[in-house]
Amino acid sequence: MLEKNVYESFMKIVGERNISQDPAVMDSYAFQWCNEIESAQRGDEPQRFGVRPLAVVLPASTEEVQSIVKACNEHKVTFKAFCTGMGPWAGVSDPRAIQIDLRRMNRIIEIDEKNMYAVIEPYVINAELQSELFPYGLMHHAQGAGPQTSPLASHTSFVGPGFTSPYTGFSGRNVLGVEWVLPDGEILRLGSFDHNGKWFTGDGPGISLRGVMRGWLGAYGGLGVFTKAAIRLFSWPAPKDWKWKTSGTIPEYNWDIPPFWKMFVLNFEEWEEYKAAMYELSDREVTMVATTSAPEGLAALFTNTKQEAIETIFAGLLAKTRNYIVMLVAAHTRREFEFRTKLVRLIMEKYGGNDLIEEGVTVPKPMHYGETVRNMLGGHAFRFSNCFQSTHGGMDTIAMAVRLAQLNQTVKQKYIDKGVIGDDRGLGVWITSYESGHMAHMETPTVYDPTSVESCLGYAAYQDECNQMDLDEALGMPFFIVGDDVHNFYAERTMHYADWIRKIKAAFDPNGVSDPSHYVKGDRKK
Amino acid sequence: MTLGEFEDMMDSCVRCSKCKFIPQLVIQSKRFSSICPSIDYYNFHAYSGGGRMITANAYHKGRVELTPEMLDVIYRCTNCGGCEVSCKWVYELEPNEAIHEIRVAAVEAGAGPMPKHKKYIELVERNKNPYGEDPEKRPAWLTDEITTNESSSTLYFVGCTASYRREEIAFATAKILNSAGEDFRLMGSDEMCCGSPVYRVGDQKKALEIMQANIEQFKETGIEKIITSCSGCYNMLKVEYPRFVKHDIEVIHTSQLIEGFLNEGKIKLNEMVPMKVTYHDPCHLGRMAEPYEKWEGEKIEVLSQVFIYDPPKPDRRGANGVYDAPRNVLKQIPGVELVEMERIREYSYCCGAGGGCKSAYPDFALWAANERLEEAESTGASTLVSACPFCGTNFRDGIESRESSMKYFDLTELVLRSIGGGK
Ligand SMILES: Cc1cc2nc3c(=O)[nH]c(=O)nc-3n(C[C@H](O)[C@H](O)[C@@H](O)COP(=O)(O)OP(=O)(O)OC[C@H]3O[C@@H](n4cnc5c(N)ncnc54)[C@H](O)[C@@H]3O)c2cc1C
Ligand code: SF4
Ligand code: SF4
Repeated sequence: MLEKNVYESFMKIVGERNISQDPAVMDSYAFQWCNEIESAQRGDEPQRFGVRPLAVVLPASTEEVQSIVKACNEHKVTFKAFCTGMGPWAGVSDPRAIQIDLRRMNRIIEIDEKNMYAVIEPYVINAELQSELFPYGLMHHAQGAGPQTSPLASHTSFVGPGFTSPYTGFSGRNVLGVEWVLPDGEILRLGSFDHNGKWFTGDGPGISLRGVMRGWLGAYGGLGVFTKAAIRLFSWPAPKDWKWKTSGTIPEYNWDIPPFWKMFVLNFEEWEEYKAAMYELSDREVTMVATTSAPEGLAALFTNTKQEAIETIFAGLLAKTRNYIVMLVAAHTRREFEFRTKLVRLIMEKYGGNDLIEEGVTVPKPMHYGETVRNMLGGHAFRFSNCFQSTHGGMDTIAMAVRLAQLNQTVKQKYIDKGVIGDDRGLGVWITSYESGHMAHMETPTVYDPTSVESCLGYAAYQDECNQMDLDEALGMPFFIVGDDVHNFYAERTMHYADWIRKIKAAFDPNGVSDPSHYVKGDRKK
Repeated sequence: MTLGEFEDMMDSCVRCSKCKFIPQLVIQSKRFSSICPSIDYYNFHAYSGGGRMITANAYHKGRVELTPEMLDVIYRCTNCGGCEVSCKWVYELEPNEAIHEIRVAAVEAGAGPMPKHKKYIELVERNKNPYGEDPEKRPAWLTDEITTNESSSTLYFVGCTASYRREEIAFATAKILNSAGEDFRLMGSDEMCCGSPVYRVGDQKKALEIMQANIEQFKETGIEKIITSCSGCYNMLKVEYPRFVKHDIEVIHTSQLIEGFLNEGKIKLNEMVPMKVTYHDPCHLGRMAEPYEKWEGEKIEVLSQVFIYDPPKPDRRGANGVYDAPRNVLKQIPGVELVEMERIREYSYCCGAGGGCKSAYPDFALWAANERLEEAESTGASTLVSACPFCGTNFRDGIESRESSMKYFDLTELVLRSIGGGK
């Protein structure tokens, strides 16, 4: 329990209605997906209840956030902010911590159509922002975690690949400015979120604080609180009078596909051909989506229930599916559409591929087009089993993603053979290219049993082995790294970068009140 | 089911927050993206479907006690089922069922329901209605114009709200039945509350007694078919009763009845009712109205750690509610122009009255009604129509509180006008 005077000082800031310390309410913040792996590693029963915050506060403004942070410094209470709070990194790790739930800060402050950026608060979710951007003929980059998660969280604090990455890139690259309550309570405004709000770069004059604030991975809430973000927007390839329209009843909705859109699932017998095609497709900027998963994953992408997905598998999908790329050609005009679709076919033929949609192996319905651009497809993976986790993967070249996938298969198979993780024949990956270039994101989603110690530990061991392989085989850097230990592990071979982020952490957070949880602690590495 | 039987399910929550919003694909605007009035009003995660499932789980595991704030979490929820529709887009979880079970557990532990609920339960036991009205006055709305046939096997089960608070609905329904030449009887002062307000706050024991007594009475009087005005009564008789008390009585809602009359040409909608309307789907007539089908079978591991049910388990995702009947009726009323809100059918936004909230938390219920009214107003309609006296009462309160120019009518009132029986 917080001391009465401390609790009251927080209550004064947010009002009685917006603070709680009830154990049940706290437990709804302590509970997180994948906490069971960490509890199993500690030798406890695997469970999703993690560390309980001492209080939860719901501020409504930057000023309130600032006052909370100052009070935390004064009373030596740790804090951790989140937007929607999905994932263990959103929870607190310090037993004397409060959670700052930013749900009440949910305004879209500005959509600048000409300069193509939007200024948003933390609890605007992807689906909401997307809906409000269509009338302007614009879209934003949404992280693959889903339409119900926060673009601000992703842009400011946590990695950021998504399904439209070939077109819209990566969250860390799209943040143009922030309003940032630093761990000591000072407010810093960066990049395009300056006083006239019209800049175009995430960096601003002088050294780039964007790197300090998040770098590649993000600080996972371990470096203060972001209260506003300006994010880059992209042209939405549909006529301005086109409307996001659905009809029907769950789970069979209909969706109006914009006029010049078409999906392909290009399938290649070997990784080599896949790789060459992926490079060329990316380089030619023909596709908004370029996603690869396991053949089993394909069965889940374009179906609406688990039953349907399983039936598709038993109807022979696996036998006909090798290394595939789900693509979406989304053009503004007919000529652009014709050019792009022709080019896709030429590239497919050049590398001996076939189109699984044309051959009827998989059949995306109009609603699946909608789900694709709303970043809903990742969620389909949960239909098979309510539990999977991904390895730390990599963010490097397309060739590196393929290498990772190939090497991963044998490691994964070992753990499949032990019976501790789900059997996807080692093929379970998620690859997407980035920014129509040579870069790609790669991770390996893996099903495990969250109620079994053996399975949780088995998954953890598999992940450790993948990390070791990253170093042994020089596979580049993972796309996310959580906690001091894993940072230390990689830092040994990467110019001790973790020491530098620790220095930054210590300088920005002199009292150590911004709960590092999955980020780094402020002290120097021993 | 008990909380214990739901433990695996509760452990599986991903804390993804999907249950706070309408299914992601159907979101069309920021303003009307939410599905859960409770999280919208109270904001702490515990007040969402997933959050409640976590707190129920924490209680089951002995991590927390039934503190006053925990009871708030449990009861400041309209039990509207919206969270479950959104969750089931992806997962095989039933947050709304867990919410019901934690209420049952709270009652069993002697902590629930809330004082206001206890009071109306007493009134139900004493006066057969939660309003504490005189049972003898239940049929007070009945006028000489209406013909009933006490030997009919069709019962018009008026329900407490239409009997005592929204008599115009009872009157309109009876007039429509007469116009169609459909024989029906009433229970009059013997009609007993369907048990919904008791059941929804977790007093399962008393709710079961009511269910048994009602079914017994229906059987004794040879009832084969029941017509309900109230979506709550409909839901109880059609969906919940069969889970506890066996019966083979056909249960239909007035909207379905009228649709049938129109299809069979039993009534004619001749009079113009010139108005632009929008229709609110009551939760208990919509997503909550899917009957439970008993499933027996086995769980088979078809791929490693991937299980399916053999035979397939019947889906209860809100797809098979009564959505089209009221719309089909509205569309046939001359002069009526139907425009839709953004949140409709299985992802309709709750009026705010259900689950014991109207009596125990009137501020919350009224706030939710106003949220929905704002959406109704945004369509440009002058009139909000629904098919539930309880939703109607809450909306009328909302309209008054926000001094809205919007009118509210029950579907039966418009039908009565169009057949020439109303003003
Ligand atoms: C099932 C699942 C799938 C995922 N898939 C992807 C994916 O495809 N791509 C991807 O990029 N990520 C993915 N993630 C990771 C990550 O959780 C999300 O990207 C994250 O951004 C979701 O948004 P959120 O609103 O829930 O963020 P939150 O959980 O609220 O926040 C994420 C992190 O950022 C911090 N944070 C959030 N807001 C603030 C703020 N205002 N100030 C300071 N710190 C803040 C939090 O403390 C937390 O550590 C996935 C997570 C899960 C659980
Ligand atoms: S109840 Fe379902 S939708 Fe809600 S947080 Fe849990 S898993 Fe997600
Ligand atoms: S039943 Fe309705 S009010 Fe209750 S948690 Fe679910 S969506 Fe919210």
